[in-house]
Amino acid sequence: MSMLASSPSAPLSLLQIEARFKNRIWRGDPSGSSSDPSGSSADPVVSSGFSELDKALPGGGWPVHNLTELLLPAEGLGEIRLLGRPLEQITGDGRNILLVGPPYIPYMHAWENLHIDSRRIVIARVDKPAERLWVLEQGIKSAAFGAVIGWLPESSLQTTRRLQVIARTVASLVFLFRPVSAQFESSAAPLRIWLGPVAQHTLSVRLLKRRGAPTVLPIYIVLPQIKPFSSSAVSGSALVHC
Amino acid sequence: MLWIALHCPTLSLDWIERRFPAALIPAMAVTIRKGNQAYIRQANKPAQQWGVTAHQPLASALSLFPDLVVLEHDPNEEMKALQEAAYAALRFTPNIVLQCSGLIAEVSGSLKLFGGLKKLCRLLNRAVTAQGLQLCVGAAPTAKGAWLLAQSTPPHTVINGAGAKFHLLLDFLPVSLLESAQAHLEVIRGIGCKTLADLRRLPRGGMARRFGTGLLMELDQAYGDSPDPQKWFEAPEYFQRKMELMAQVENAGMLLLPVQRMIEQMCGWLASRYTAVSAFSLILHHEYSLRQPHRSTPINIRLSEQSNDPGHLMILLRERLERTKLMVPVCGLELIADEITTGMEANLELFPTAQSEATSLSRFIEKLSSRLGPQAITSLQAVSDYRPECSQRFNASGIGGFSCRGMHRDRISSELIRPAWLMETPLKLKLQRQRPVYGSLLKLISGPERIEAGWWDDGAITRDYFIAENNLGQLLWIYCEHNSTGDNKKKDWYLQGLFG
Repeated sequence: MSMLASSPSAPLSLLQIEARFKNRIWRGDPSGSSSDPSGSSADPVVSSGFSELDKALPGGGWPVHNLTELLLPAEGLGEIRLLGRPLEQITGDGRNILLVGPPYIPYMHAWENLHIDSRRIVIARVDKPAERLWVLEQGIKSAAFGAVIGWLPESSLQTTRRLQVIARTVASLVFLFRPVSAQFESSAAPLRIWLGPVAQHTLSVRLLKRRGAPTVLPIYIVLPQIKPFSSSAVSGSALVHC
Repeated sequence: MLWIALHCPTLSLDWIERRFPAALIPAMAVTIRKGNQAYIRQANKPAQQWGVTAHQPLASALSLFPDLVVLEHDPNEEMKALQEAAYAALRFTPNIVLQCSGLIAEVSGSLKLFGGLKKLCRLLNRAVTAQGLQLCVGAAPTAKGAWLLAQSTPPHTVINGAGAKFHLLLDFLPVSLLESAQAHLEVIRGIGCKTLADLRRLPRGGMARRFGTGLLMELDQAYGDSPDPQKWFEAPEYFQRKMELMAQVENAGMLLLPVQRMIEQMCGWLASRYTAVSAFSLILHHEYSLRQPHRSTPINIRLSEQSNDPGHLMILLRERLERTKLMVPVCGLELIADEITTGMEANLELFPTAQSEATSLSRFIEKLSSRLGPQAITSLQAVSDYRPECSQRFNASGIGGFSCRGMHRDRISSELIRPAWLMETPLKLKLQRQRPVYGSLLKLISGPERIEAGWWDDGAITRDYFIAENNLGQLLWIYCEHNSTGDNKKKDWYLQGLFG
């Protein structure tokens, strides 16, 4: 009894406080929780496959248990190649990927060439915003998917908050593709990334929002090259030059 | 042996009330005929508020509340209601005995699976109460004992006589609870016997001579001194339950409660047969009239994976019911287990495994397709064909679920460059100074790749494919139809895909 009574009154030095509450003090480190020495309290991450990007992402990779918003001016900039490595890893582990309302038909041969197992991709073809959200929620809640990728042309702070709350409880990657106009809307996603083209096969990535100190400078990521057409003729095709 | 008895003191009312959607229950009473006169047997809460009580002559009840809904006591219907409750109870034990106003379940074999007597008692009570019956519950080592205890307790209570106090509890029960004592109640009271203990103190020979052997036998069976064989409730070969509603229901949402009850019954039946259902149908029956030729609206549900989980089946049915527009009021429900398969018990897994992940995927797909339609959720199967339009095909979810797991993984040579996105149909591009435009003037980066295929069927194509870039930085997959004349000036350009 006396011990209990005395302990709160005894003054603690700063060092003691740090030692005692090591895992509970959040420090505004330049890259968030990645520099957390214990690492135990940090959310698990999945490496993006690009070392420059991993360095900039809090924790050192794409966060599990959180929404990640990717703002894109238009499709066709290399956004799938950017996510290629984690998707490859997920299907390689025998887990499934859910695509909610993709803007075009995914071309499986290309995805296969990124080593993503096309048999593990489930596509939800939904157009109405309410349905997209419902499917996203169900997909995130379901234990069936290692990654949920949704295209949300329109969304609100409320809906992202709702999705974020659900995403907190599950161990899957959740990516939301949003138009660039969404960068001026507030969002509950703890990680927001702006993607833009620089040159062929190079993507400029700017972290608009992340845990830890903000960064201003964009990162340039060289995507896996699309090789030029091979000059050898393949069966059923002949080659001509313009 | 361990028995749980579920006594339903208000059965004659309950079986009628459960056929009304909760919001539409009127003030009503069940009557019973004694000689020439009808008496109130039981009155429900709204009727009681008007002063209608049991044992009242019908005439005086009607004078208190003229709009009282009066129904005659119908033992057959009560038995049907009990049977339905028995279905629901089958989930917990296969050994169930129907009584005239309740059920007795032998549960000694189910104790471990359901986590002990207390838990099992609560589950059983909840399952049968959910069927729309009000219960008093008694547990005891003998069937008769449990039944007597259940009858002696006030509604919504549980009395546990499973321990050492069993005989003591029985001793204090009134003689009037014994079935075979009914004819002799006056004599028994006259000789100063009030409780079972009093009765047991009488000399057995004299009792047998005066009251017949039935009473002695009943006493002995209750105390466990003589065997008490039971006739178990037998579930039929097929599951098909029909329920007439006592009100015309125009809102599908109001049907959820009765539908839930029927689903619980089906799952009890499935459990008793160690099976699961892979297809079932709910049929909404309508009142027949000349104006209204629709007699019924069937809702057929096919599962991608067998299930005997009432929660899951209900989710599927709820999605479908909510989307069903009722043109005509519903007056009856029918539930049929169309296809059953020998059940595979779900493992009680601690960690998610490949098995549980596959289950949750098929459940996810079922849930989505029951709300959005089966075409909304698909997978894509790659086909080896050089024509982009023919090189993959949508696999509808639906019967058998995703068969994609086992399918062959076709892919075209990784030497060939293919875009991550394909347009639904190729988009014809505008031309500016003979050059294609998409967003801005396109710059051809690479190509051409000639695809000349499909001569074997009617979809022959001869196209030259290029990779192009626009000012936005998009990489596009475009083609022009190749014509044999080689006239490049008048070519039409099409956008077929985007490199994601």
